[in-house]
Amino acid sequence: MTAGDTDLKTAAVPKAPRVRREVHHIGLVAALVLLALVGVVTEPDNFATSGNVAGILALAATIGVITVGMTFVIIGGGIDLSVGALMALASVWATTLATQSYGPVVMVVCALLVGTGAGLVNGLLIAYGRLVPFIATLAMLVAARGLAQRMSDRKTQLVRPENDAIEALSTTKVLGLPLVVFIFAAVAAAGWVLLNRTTFGRRTFAVGGNPEAARLAGIDVRRHTLMSYALSGLCCGVAAIIIMARTTTGSSTHGDLYELDAIAAVIIGGTLLTGGRGTLAGSILGVLVFTLITNLFILNGLQTSDQLIAKGAIIVVAVLLQRRGLRAPT
Amino acid sequence: MGQYNGDPPVLLRMRGIVKRFPGVRALDGVDLDVRPGEVHCLLGQNGAGKSTLIKVLAGAHRPDEGEITFGGEPFAPATPTAAMRAGIATIYQELDLVDGLSVTDNVFLGHERSRLGFTRREEGDRRARELLARLGHGEIPPRREAGRLPAAGRQVVSMARALSHEARLIVMDEPSAALAHDEVDNLFRIIRELTREGVAVVYISHRLAEIREIGDRVTVLKDGRTVARDLPARTTPTNEIVALMTGRDIEHAFPDRPAPDAFDDRPEVLRVEGLTLPGSFEDVSFAVRAGEIVGLAGLVGSGRSEILETVYGARRATAGRVLIDGRPVRPGSPGAAVRRGMGLAPEERKSQALLLDQSVAANMSMAGLDRYSAFGWLNRRRERADVRAQIAALDIRPPDPDRPVATLSGGNQQKVVLARWLLGDRRLLVLDEPTRGVDVGARAELYGVVRELAARGIGVLLVSSEVPEVLGLADRVLVVREGRIVHEGDARGLDEPAVLNLIMEGSAL
Amino acid sequence: MSEHTSDRPTTPSRRGLLFGGALAAAGTLAAACTGNDPKETTPAAQTGNLGGGDNAKPGRPVTIGFSAPAADHGWIAAITKNAQAEAKRYSDLTFKPVEPTNDINQQISAVESLISAKVNALVLLPNDGEQLNQVARKAMDAGIPVINLDRVFPDKLSYRTWIGGDNYGMGVAAGHHVGRRLKEKGVAKPVIVEVQGIATLPLTQERSKGFADALKTYGFSVTAKQDAKFTVETGNQVASNLLQAHKKIDALWNHDDDQGVGVLAAVKQAGRKDFFMVGGAGSANAMREIKSGGVLEATVTYSPTMAASAVRVARLIAQGKGMADLMELQVPQSLTLTSETVTRQNVDQYLPLGFES
Repeated sequence: MTAGDTDLKTAAVPKAPRVRREVHHIGLVAALVLLALVGVVTEPDNFATSGNVAGILALAATIGVITVGMTFVIIGGGIDLSVGALMALASVWATTLATQSYGPVVMVVCALLVGTGAGLVNGLLIAYGRLVPFIATLAMLVAARGLAQRMSDRKTQLVRPENDAIEALSTTKVLGLPLVVFIFAAVAAAGWVLLNRTTFGRRTFAVGGNPEAARLAGIDVRRHTLMSYALSGLCCGVAAIIIMARTTTGSSTHGDLYELDAIAAVIIGGTLLTGGRGTLAGSILGVLVFTLITNLFILNGLQTSDQLIAKGAIIVVAVLLQRRGLRAPT
Repeated sequence: MGQYNGDPPVLLRMRGIVKRFPGVRALDGVDLDVRPGEVHCLLGQNGAGKSTLIKVLAGAHRPDEGEITFGGEPFAPATPTAAMRAGIATIYQELDLVDGLSVTDNVFLGHERSRLGFTRREEGDRRARELLARLGHGEIPPRREAGRLPAAGRQVVSMARALSHEARLIVMDEPSAALAHDEVDNLFRIIRELTREGVAVVYISHRLAEIREIGDRVTVLKDGRTVARDLPARTTPTNEIVALMTGRDIEHAFPDRPAPDAFDDRPEVLRVEGLTLPGSFEDVSFAVRAGEIVGLAGLVGSGRSEILETVYGARRATAGRVLIDGRPVRPGSPGAAVRRGMGLAPEERKSQALLLDQSVAANMSMAGLDRYSAFGWLNRRRERADVRAQIAALDIRPPDPDRPVATLSGGNQQKVVLARWLLGDRRLLVLDEPTRGVDVGARAELYGVVRELAARGIGVLLVSSEVPEVLGLADRVLVVREGRIVHEGDARGLDEPAVLNLIMEGSAL
Repeated sequence: MSEHTSDRPTTPSRRGLLFGGALAAAGTLAAACTGNDPKETTPAAQTGNLGGGDNAKPGRPVTIGFSAPAADHGWIAAITKNAQAEAKRYSDLTFKPVEPTNDINQQISAVESLISAKVNALVLLPNDGEQLNQVARKAMDAGIPVINLDRVFPDKLSYRTWIGGDNYGMGVAAGHHVGRRLKEKGVAKPVIVEVQGIATLPLTQERSKGFADALKTYGFSVTAKQDAKFTVETGNQVASNLLQAHKKIDALWNHDDDQGVGVLAAVKQAGRKDFFMVGGAGSANAMREIKSGGVLEATVTYSPTMAASAVRVARLIAQGKGMADLMELQVPQSLTLTSETVTRQNVDQYLPLGFES
């Protein structure tokens, strides 16, 4: 019996984790505010403009959408290393001459289907093939990039002028914001609802927190796992549409190292890498923090290498804070 | 109580130990004396402070107040390693072996036999073999991976590690919990051997019978305080010890049972026919009627837990079938079992039943989410209302649906698991060791809850390694030995020796 | 092609895709189905001049080995393609390419296999000049002339002839174009922005230096520069942010036409028309943009046609011939291509040489 431990925890952590989560979000929001202040002070003319805000949100859209899917996978106790590669593959598949000949609607459907399909393969390998998620999605990363290179012949595939409806997602603005920002917002909102207001979300926490308990409670853990990877794949498909809109291309080089950016955003958002706990709002805030840093550095004419250092530092600080929040102040 | 005059000098002496954690005094004045060569038993309910005390001795916690002397010297280890060096070794309940390392490597973990940074494997193996032989287990190969050893073997390795430090005091936290009957005998043999050499043992166990067998003296803790010290282990009456631990008697712990023939005209909720899982059990058939509590008694390894798990679908039988209300259940699928009205309170509550990080509410509703959802959308208001109703009905304390379940006591956690199934209509509850890790007071309460559920018409299938529990709670008892049901009968017609006899010998009464 | 609709071959619809191997196989199939342009694009080198004298006539049969990095970029892809296309034009030439790779060790063993196959000459674009130096030297010691393509070996004993582009010259060409145009417009204190490739590479630093040096002759300097990673996506990202940072820009030089696709998309999305842009490398796409008269006004070449030239030179060296237009009997030791400026005026001439990114 480990009753002593339990009772100590009781004593040390008198409040529910909800409270701590909110505190954690306050930390992220504070970081965002701080970065915004830095922006206003250093670049008063350029930073706080509606154009720049729209630009930041549009830049955050691709990685943000992917992070939504990643959040589900990680809370569900897994990891998806293939996200960047899947986005690349979906963008390439949707921009082949054959696909493009059917028009923008088919291109969009194609990207979504390719992403979801590859996600389903991930899920099948992990849930029914019993592969470790790290290995299965690593294999998918490599294979999907290879397939994308083969399909595109390693070339950058331009979205043809007759399909400029795709690009219009990025150039058309509503309320000063390009449509891709609304796509991002819609995916984030849908993700939040799915995670917090549906049985699917609840079961994601259960499956990630204690798969054995979930199984014995009658939850179909394998089917759920399959679905969460398919969801991540679907998000990659949506991200592919956004990247096609933004760059007017499909390319096997798209989404390079996105998996790391997405995982980093999820982590600084307060989601446990071991699963079972996390929030979507935290992940989105994490994405915004990273995008804001890039924006600030470029506005101030600083080098990419410095950005990387800053991002690394932020990850460490965030996780340290997170750990302090989780542990009892002894 | 003080009876020091003429006794050998005290090896370990603790006085007025206080350890505070934010919001609680985990230890609030603990006194303890341990003499060389004795087995000193530490008794107390969950939360009495035993674990904290062990951690203080192991050097993992530093006390806020009080003094400790060990071998006449002040003892204030800064780290667990320092405590080991000083001569106090601790064998934790969850053995702290590195599964991927060899037996030798585990024995000498942290003080490897090495020269210039290279481990000296030959010498290490030789020393390990010596230590294992001293423990009567020379047959354990030093190069074997620790993870491949059975539980008893792992415990021996843990003890060998303690010996390798030339420990003068070994603290054992529930060493018998993971062991089968004959393995416990061997453990006792080892303990006797050690004490003969002058090593002192602090022995922590909930099993009074063991304490009577192996212990010399008993110290009882309650609410972080020593309430009785140095009681003779063999002769102190049980009710006195229980009274010290709880402040109440354990009589009337079990609720009243309906008359033996009360179930004769009730329908069968569960019927098991010729269930077979080679290597575990064979041709098992029985039935549970509505409102009836049926207990499975048997040794660890007899197949009793496997039967339970197979009925629930967590394992898949090679032959036979399981019927609920007369209709067969799809085998090998807990999901199907749940849909047909079964519910399980598994043996390992924390690892098999609970989402420790999540709230009481989330834990309770996780198996029945479909009841609160339309097209996947959760109706959280209805969910909360039901959760609150169950908290009130089962008297879960504290009555806060948002509290993380990890912060509840063992008994209340078990109630959460039971409540999980009560949110929906259940036909059969399957309880595996329902009172493991639950303290004495809370046990009686749980027994009451289980009986009440049965009274609502739910069938209950129960497994417990504590025979009195099966006899006291169940209406009917099935005795399992070597994968077969060797006896079936009314619980009132059996007593503990008779059941033990059946379990172990299989001879007639 | 028409039967292969684009939305059909999604992975889950195929049972065989349950396992990784099957996935790869189906991928290959799908790629073949939905492949790109059915018409082979005209290899750029075929339209170049065919060399003077009678060098093009069949001579002694020779075998030429070829090793280059795996293409992760349109330019590298064009290198391999150009070399292959050029080799096909000679009946006396056996072309022996090895599997392209981005792994230094693999390239070393690939080159070793070419040495033991006793090829007559070796065209080598190393992943890294320093690290491949040893094996190139080994080839030279074995009597096989090495034609070093673009990324130079540090040891002159390791190659017979070097042929490559001029990164500094590229910056200079871009700088002159920008300087001249701004002087024409009479802009006094212009805002000049630079989107670099990978900042840590020496070639990027040389390009930037050439650009700055040329601008200095007009009394101008670079206002801001930021590095992308030679990919469309990074080009887009960096340009989006840079355009936010500078409300008014007079000229923008982007080092690389591949990433330029992303830069152009960012310019379009920001709705900016206040500046002109110069590209780099000379992709066909960039040239089409120039021709259509958008914000991209010019590009400075760093042409992958050098691979075709390298094959040509390798053949001459192996046959012991010199270059017909030069006095010398042998091919020179080093050939540096000049970076040419492609504008709307001469774009038609360059279009056939542009590579598909």
